[in-house]
Amino acid sequence: MRRTSADPLQRLSAKLGGALHPERRTTLLTVDPSKVEEACLGVASLPGLYHLSTITGVDLGDQIGILYHFWEGRRFVTVKTAVPKTAPRIRSVAGALPAATLYEAEIQDLFGVAFDGNPYAGKRLLLPDDYPAEAPPPMRKEADPEKIRRMMKLE
Amino acid sequence: MSDAPAGDRKETGAGLMQYSPEGMMPFGPVHPSLKEPEYFKLILEGEKIVQVVPRIGYVHRGIERAAQERTWVKDIYLFERICGICSFAHSISFTQAVESMSPFEVPDRARYIRVVVAELERIHSHLLWLGLVGHWAGFDTLFMWVWKDREHVLDLEEGITGNRVHKSYSTFGGVRKDLPEGIGAKVTAELGYIEKRVAYYKDLVQSEQTLTVRTRGVGRISQDTARKLSPVGPLLRCTGIGRDVRTEDPYAAYDEVRPEVQTSKDGDIASLLVLRLNEVLDSCRMVKEALEKIPSGPFKVPFPRTVPEGEAAFHVEAPRGELFYFVKSAGGSVPERVKIRTPTMANLLTATEMLKGQTLADVPVVLTGMDPCFGCMDRVSVFDVDKSKEWSLSGEELRDYGIEYYRGRRG
Repeated sequence: MRRTSADPLQRLSAKLGGALHPERRTTLLTVDPSKVEEACLGVASLPGLYHLSTITGVDLGDQIGILYHFWEGRRFVTVKTAVPKTAPRIRSVAGALPAATLYEAEIQDLFGVAFDGNPYAGKRLLLPDDYPAEAPPPMRKEADPEKIRRMMKLE
Repeated sequence: MSDAPAGDRKETGAGLMQYSPEGMMPFGPVHPSLKEPEYFKLILEGEKIVQVVPRIGYVHRGIERAAQERTWVKDIYLFERICGICSFAHSISFTQAVESMSPFEVPDRARYIRVVVAELERIHSHLLWLGLVGHWAGFDTLFMWVWKDREHVLDLEEGITGNRVHKSYSTFGGVRKDLPEGIGAKVTAELGYIEKRVAYYKDLVQSEQTLTVRTRGVGRISQDTARKLSPVGPLLRCTGIGRDVRTEDPYAAYDEVRPEVQTSKDGDIASLLVLRLNEVLDSCRMVKEALEKIPSGPFKVPFPRTVPEGEAAFHVEAPRGELFYFVKSAGGSVPERVKIRTPTMANLLTATEMLKGQTLADVPVVLTGMDPCFGCMDRVSVFDVDKSKEWSLSGEELRDYGIEYYRGRRG
């Protein structure tokens, strides 16, 4: 399984100027945010890799990391990118991979990353309607749950 | 409120109001103390559903954030509380994700015990679901039979782990205690009873008109839709795609106790009924096989309180499908980030596809058919933009409406 799809992944990585890190269970493909859509489509078109398990957002300090986990057999292929907190914006992959719609909407709510082209862009999926617009997105490190509770007049 | 023109209503869900000529029915959310409230905006053309917009988060408690402030061990018990039905799936997914980041090997006995409890959990989860489908389709006798039988499985789980629901059993490096003496004979006896009952139910769901008329051809999904929307578990397998984490990416002792992947071609609720019952029978076989093959030895190894720096993605086959955990450690005593994707989240978009083209009367059965964590649709209000009229239906009333609707059609 690994042998058949390792080569196309390397070719994809070289084409997009990315970096490939094979780990024990996960093959990481790190790319620039502008190349994410192409990378995800490239990975999803490889045999057996059409299943997008989920998309993870991670607070990396100055940046928000976004990881697209694809599953095949005994491994994950993860497309990894990061957007700066000062301009958290990326193109949505939901047009080509509809399974991404809700996962992107979740990251938009919890990390404040805008996904251009997602049906939920500018709308809310998870956060309450009265979540204060001036409060930081709740999963960011700088978000203080106590302060947000006070802003929402919950105590 | 009901007189306000549609355009003036505050909407935060995704693109809804372009559908104003048709009727719009907000569906949910239910009371937060109940199972899993979610909110579906159903756009109706007469009786027919043309569009569905989900809005979730009513019981989003920020568990992923809370986990970053608790120690690794405390997090196991926190994550178990995400789901009251598949709590063990959450704990083995998290513990195995963390174990995969450390050099410690889990003892063989613990791997087998995990299979035993995980499969017992699958049996009780599928039985719970079958009862709910019976209830929402107006077949309450089935509901009562099945839930009574399910108690036998819960008793077994309690006998092994000490708890019926939140088992607090799996931990880093193994399980918290050994199997009790003489459990093998008890399990074999109880599962023999379950197998007999399930064989009867399998016959029943395929022949009893109360169920067939409500489930055959209802909530159909195609293989193409499934490939596009990446649903998981029985919802994926009922379209004929035989993907199961237990066989494709075996964890615990699933490489030695192999499941038989159940598939079906029809992709409707009727096929889901048979498919899940087949899975129950297979799980019974696997529990007995695991108890026969189980090696002796330690059931736990000591595990350090900190986790080496790194990242791990791990998934297990929960009763509802692939349950995904992503764990990131900075080497400290608390996790840096834990991401959880539950099966219902992956199946939500597919469920909206299943609802399209169905009638309002089919909503309870189709939504229960996907086996979400919400069978308890509590408060439904119906809004008809044309007539500027709003009325409310409780979940029970909607159920009665569905039953009456089908009774009328049968004459």
